[in-house]
Amino acid sequence: MTDDKKTGTIHPLSLLAQEAYQVFADMGFEIATGPELESEWYNFDVLNVPKDHPARDMQDTFVIKDQQEKVLRTHTTAVIARAMEQAGKEGRIPAAFISVGKVFRNEATDFSHEMQFYQIDGGMIGENISLANLKGVLTHFYKKMLGEDVEVEFRPSFFPFTEPSIEVFAKFNGKWLEMMGAGMAHPNVIKNIGLDPKKYQCLLFGGGLDRIAMIKWGVPDVRLFYQGDLRLNQI
Amino acid sequence: MKYSYNWLKWYIPDAPEAEKLAEILTYHLAEVESLEKILDKIASKGEDTILDIKILPNRAHDLLSHSGLARELAALLDIKFTDPTPNYKVPESGPTDLKIEIKTDKCRRYMGRVIRNVKVGPSPAWVVAHLEAIGERSINNLVDASNLVMFNCGQPTHVFDLKKVKEKIVVRQAEEGEELTTLDNRQCKFKKGDMLIADAERALAIAGVKGGKVGEVDDITTDVILEVANFDPTAVRKTAQSQNIFTEARKRFENDLSPTLGDFAMLELSALIAETCPEAKFEEIVDEYPAKPAERAMEFSGDKVRSVLGLQVSDEEIGNVLKRYRMEYTNTDGKFTLQVPPLRLDLALEEDMAEEIGRVLGYDKIKGSIPKVNFQPKPNDLYTKITWARSRLLSEGYSEVMTTSFKNKGKVSVLASASDKNYLRTDLTDGLKESIKLNQVNAPLLGLDNVKIFEIGTVWTPAEEMRVAYGDKKEIKEMTLEEYASQIEKNSAALPASGLRHGQNFSQSVPQKFTMWALYPFIARDVAVWVPESVPSEEVKKVIKENAGDMVVRGPELFDEFKKDGKISYAFRIVFQSYDRTLTDVEINDIMNKISAKIGEKDGWAVR
Repeated sequence: MTDDKKTGTIHPLSLLAQEAYQVFADMGFEIATGPELESEWYNFDVLNVPKDHPARDMQDTFVIKDQQEKVLRTHTTAVIARAMEQAGKEGRIPAAFISVGKVFRNEATDFSHEMQFYQIDGGMIGENISLANLKGVLTHFYKKMLGEDVEVEFRPSFFPFTEPSIEVFAKFNGKWLEMMGAGMAHPNVIKNIGLDPKKYQCLLFGGGLDRIAMIKWGVPDVRLFYQGDLRLNQI
Repeated sequence: MKYSYNWLKWYIPDAPEAEKLAEILTYHLAEVESLEKILDKIASKGEDTILDIKILPNRAHDLLSHSGLARELAALLDIKFTDPTPNYKVPESGPTDLKIEIKTDKCRRYMGRVIRNVKVGPSPAWVVAHLEAIGERSINNLVDASNLVMFNCGQPTHVFDLKKVKEKIVVRQAEEGEELTTLDNRQCKFKKGDMLIADAERALAIAGVKGGKVGEVDDITTDVILEVANFDPTAVRKTAQSQNIFTEARKRFENDLSPTLGDFAMLELSALIAETCPEAKFEEIVDEYPAKPAERAMEFSGDKVRSVLGLQVSDEEIGNVLKRYRMEYTNTDGKFTLQVPPLRLDLALEEDMAEEIGRVLGYDKIKGSIPKVNFQPKPNDLYTKITWARSRLLSEGYSEVMTTSFKNKGKVSVLASASDKNYLRTDLTDGLKESIKLNQVNAPLLGLDNVKIFEIGTVWTPAEEMRVAYGDKKEIKEMTLEEYASQIEKNSAALPASGLRHGQNFSQSVPQKFTMWALYPFIARDVAVWVPESVPSEEVKKVIKENAGDMVVRGPELFDEFKKDGKISYAFRIVFQSYDRTLTDVEINDIMNKISAKIGEKDGWAVR
């Protein structure tokens, strides 16, 4: 009864990733990709999260049996750090990177938590990159994704890899929603990727892509994204 | 941590009302998780507000206490801070023979004081009220005094029964296999290097974590040793982790308290005990202080603050913030030299000062701007190939799914606690098979005869590899992305080189909404109708739709038509489903009968 040549339906997170990539590409960002099984160095140490630091407790990490130096990445910030390190070696600073990828957290699942989910991370490095630029870039992004009437505000936060650290909130349908963590790269991070923190400033941001999808389209449960159920592909 | 608004008011009597305070905290300091009105048992007007504030890790060393938060708020709001020190009265102290030995470099300071002739009993009403307001339980006057000091100034303290301590206090690391029973009757066995407080013979407490039974204060205790100490944060954390013990004391020590806090804490603890034990005889404080922090100065430039924030804040405004925080500084041509207050361990770098100035002034002052930099982005080969593969598969009628990366067998094993699926997948095919099974059941609901799906994702064989898999119930093909991409004609006009299409606005898709599917089973029914050849299918569809009721989740969908003898047959499928119950065949039959009847009323129409 159905035409076999009918076009298939896309997964909503793929669609959202495409859209997000497009918005950032239009601002000069380059797409970055990296391994899902990441070294502890890029997942933690590069990002100024030393061993035995309480900050390593903030994320429940999957460690790998018989591969002590490896973890399932807990964020895609590691991808941005790798890309910037490479760009530095190639003499391609200033540069901006954006990465959407699967990340993993070892925690109990519920409607807003899943062991695997998609994160969107970005960074921009140059000589005078500032928190004002971060606000400009993210405001543009959320307007493109959620509508021109969206407002963005910053609230104080803490992450080991950013200083200052902020929590990004977006006002959507009259409500302030927590969207992502962000800030200016800690000088140790810039140093760890082989660049001079006295010369360069770098903005970083990252948060759940699933969360944007849930807000944008009203998807009620994050676990629906990973069940292989085609009833999800409605958009 | 939970903070009592009335308690904070001791220090900052001019504080705005609790709701306003919560808003200020949210935008300038930390998230307020909840605000709860409670009865205040001692205040005559009877109300208090409890603020649950998620203090950020970089301020845990100075804000996990009422006086700490009050001091911050006084500076932030530029209001009066009432110093409680002059109110604390401790009787004149006599000589002491208390001996303290520090045998580890992980203890930065240990202050001890013997008090004799104390009387263990209930706490005064105000102490009980303060502790209960923030969810703590009153135990006795000595233990309560110790707890009150921690929640008031942030310094954990401990009280030992002097008569149960043999000879002296020793701060040392544990021997392998050493044992202790904690105050809450937990049997601990230590690893070499764990941090202990001991006497001449045995362990008395886990340093900075939890007291032990052997030195416990009880109803007949008359003489005590007060402990006000400071330990290396990593050492406390490791010891507590190895015993899996979480306490308020641990939380504070592992966030790196300043040893300078000890003086105030000892004064406060002594004064509180003096208040409930007027007969007590105080001995002098023994203060072993091997790691006294040096006074610390730092430099930062106004230009760096402005550059990081992207905000034109003047040196004068920066200076005004520093003054409010009682930080002494000099400013020479925009170069600030700052005497860092001993409790502000978080201020060390120029970037820290940018954050301090930014959050105090408020991040709303910063106006967003997209930088005008001529970036030279390169295309990403992997993403381009993923986009090619996806476009191609979609155009061939395959729908995209994502399935779990975790399996119960594989070649790379994760050490997981929350799941029984402890391996990473070695292929995509297994997941697709499950997905096809699931979707085949829902095929009528999806309007599909044959479920065709694909996934593009990572597998571990054990090396990490990006794969493409696609197929239906008959066959699934799986290969590396590289292999799949090499099959695609790269000159196809539909595939932009970078996988990107510039200049689109996606907010237009906003009104599109996701509809959660019903969790009850669906019923699919077909109806075929003969009508005169001149009647378009839309007209028949309309009649069916109008009479199908509100349980239709899909259709009526035309799936077949053919002509014969001047008539045409249209076949439609309708799928029924309820969001709140299981539908019965009987009620769907009623609906179908009603549709048939309506069709029968039309001239020349007949249900086949």
